[in-house]
Amino acid sequence: MMEALLPKSAVIEPTPGLPKTARPSATPNLAVMQAAAVRLPLCFVLTGVMALLISGGVLLAQPDLLAMYHYTPHLIAMTHLFVLGFICSIVMGAMYQLVPVTLETQLFSEKLVKFQFAAHVIGFVGMVWAFWNFNMAMVGAFGSLLTLGVGLFVCNLACTLAKVKSWKVIKFGIASALFWLSATVVAGLILTTAKCWNFISFQPLAAMHAHAHLGVVGVFVMMIVTVSYKLVPMFTLSELQSERRAWWSVAVLNLGLLGAFVAVLLQSPLKLVFALVITVGFVLYGLEIIAILRARNRRHLDWGMKYSLTAIALLIPLSILALVLSWSWLPMTAVTMQLESVYGLLGLFGLVGLAILGMLYKIVPFLVWFHSYSRHIGLAKIPALADMYSVRLQIAGYWTFLAGLAALSLATTWSHESGIRWGGGLLVLSVAIFALNLGKILAHFVRPKVEPFAKKTNSATNTLCPPNP
Amino acid sequence: MPAKPLTDELVLETLRQVIDPEIGCNIVDLGLIYRHAFRAGKLTVTMTLTTPGCPMHDSIAEGVKNILLTLEGVTDVEVEVVWDPPWHPSMMTEVGRAMTGVQNV
Repeated sequence: MMEALLPKSAVIEPTPGLPKTARPSATPNLAVMQAAAVRLPLCFVLTGVMALLISGGVLLAQPDLLAMYHYTPHLIAMTHLFVLGFICSIVMGAMYQLVPVTLETQLFSEKLVKFQFAAHVIGFVGMVWAFWNFNMAMVGAFGSLLTLGVGLFVCNLACTLAKVKSWKVIKFGIASALFWLSATVVAGLILTTAKCWNFISFQPLAAMHAHAHLGVVGVFVMMIVTVSYKLVPMFTLSELQSERRAWWSVAVLNLGLLGAFVAVLLQSPLKLVFALVITVGFVLYGLEIIAILRARNRRHLDWGMKYSLTAIALLIPLSILALVLSWSWLPMTAVTMQLESVYGLLGLFGLVGLAILGMLYKIVPFLVWFHSYSRHIGLAKIPALADMYSVRLQIAGYWTFLAGLAALSLATTWSHESGIRWGGGLLVLSVAIFALNLGKILAHFVRPKVEPFAKKTNSATNTLCPPNP
Repeated sequence: MPAKPLTDELVLETLRQVIDPEIGCNIVDLGLIYRHAFRAGKLTVTMTLTTPGCPMHDSIAEGVKNILLTLEGVTDVEVEVVWDPPWHPSMMTEVGRAMTGVQNV
């Protein structure tokens, strides 16, 4: 019998208090089978990227959309294209992939995903068309279809969450985001119905802002916060430093959002108080992310991580803007009105958009790699995830995006149309660079690069370890 | 040509061809292989992954099985994935740490 252990440098130091003998996995289910099939999340991702490119194209063609106050049918249509078409499509596709992985369980139903995809795409395309033409009855009709899709999404993930017994912070955060997602679409439908039949009256701007905050803070920011508690430690080889602080951050965000929704809807001066509560939630979140990064074992942060961490850093200017704008005695000038648009831009394009691009640089290579290479592992030489795209393009896209966001924010503040066109152009260029990299990744889907192994020798060397990506 | 004797070095060298695609380093230098034993044609490998719920779980375990079955004299491979003790960067070899930019821990 031959029995062997690793070289001394890699010998295991048994964890104090734990038995020395290895225990079989408590979760024998194979994780790759836990997530939805590869094609479905990819369909959501591709839909999202197309919606993003169209949104950028419209912005270039009509920069005046951002130069005027944001309560116009065309801008509301474009916002829904960006939010439902780009952000929601990608968040939903990513959640089908990430939730089973982060919670170490299986997705409840893949069949529901197919129905939801159809309802989602038809629903949001119809809604954008109806908003563009300001046909509120059709907004309601397509919105109902979209709500059906959201219902399927929420049910599928809620049933998936129900299979996880323990209430870890990640489960708490995802459950919160699902609750706010349901609340957002219901609020949207009520707003539309009220506009059609006038059965209830809200100040329309206040109602729109309350609805937007439910969606952006409750769903997207909550998802970013929650998922990063798993993914940032995973990709930097670190650990969650304080489960308690993480719990508090999610709980305080929930509390602040509930109060902010009511205060914004009723135009109460308490908006400022709840904006402060939400800011406290972000501070707790930021402290935890800093602690995780300080404890990381992997010094080098890849560019996908840099995208996501930069997005998280945008919470600082966003929180400051939120506090300023929620101050009831803020003088109403052309500039302060435009600052509301800048706030929306930084939140949607900056925070959520950049976080999604960073996340896509992790998710899409994995999906394609899994489809093309997982069956070849151990049988042939196959690329690592970072070999599937160009890091140079990734870096170029990062700086172009930030330059575009800065230019767009400044130009929007001063209603400067050509500045908006330049800033929007840089953002579209950044998205085009991303699309180019996406094409490189998808090329592995069509033509996998599988090479035979080098002939084995009988001397142990380390030459097979690939260069650091 | 006579078959090469199945040594520890040969097994580890063979396993070095299995790469963790996310981290970009082979599973031996990452410290994922805890132990291996060979008896009557059957090679049993006890290993872990960098994180529970790792989406590469099945692929990497299958890859280990596939590549070890290419060794002469190996007729069966059993791969046992364990989470205890949990993986920690201190389990990486010096080569693995240098390749992945992991700090000395």
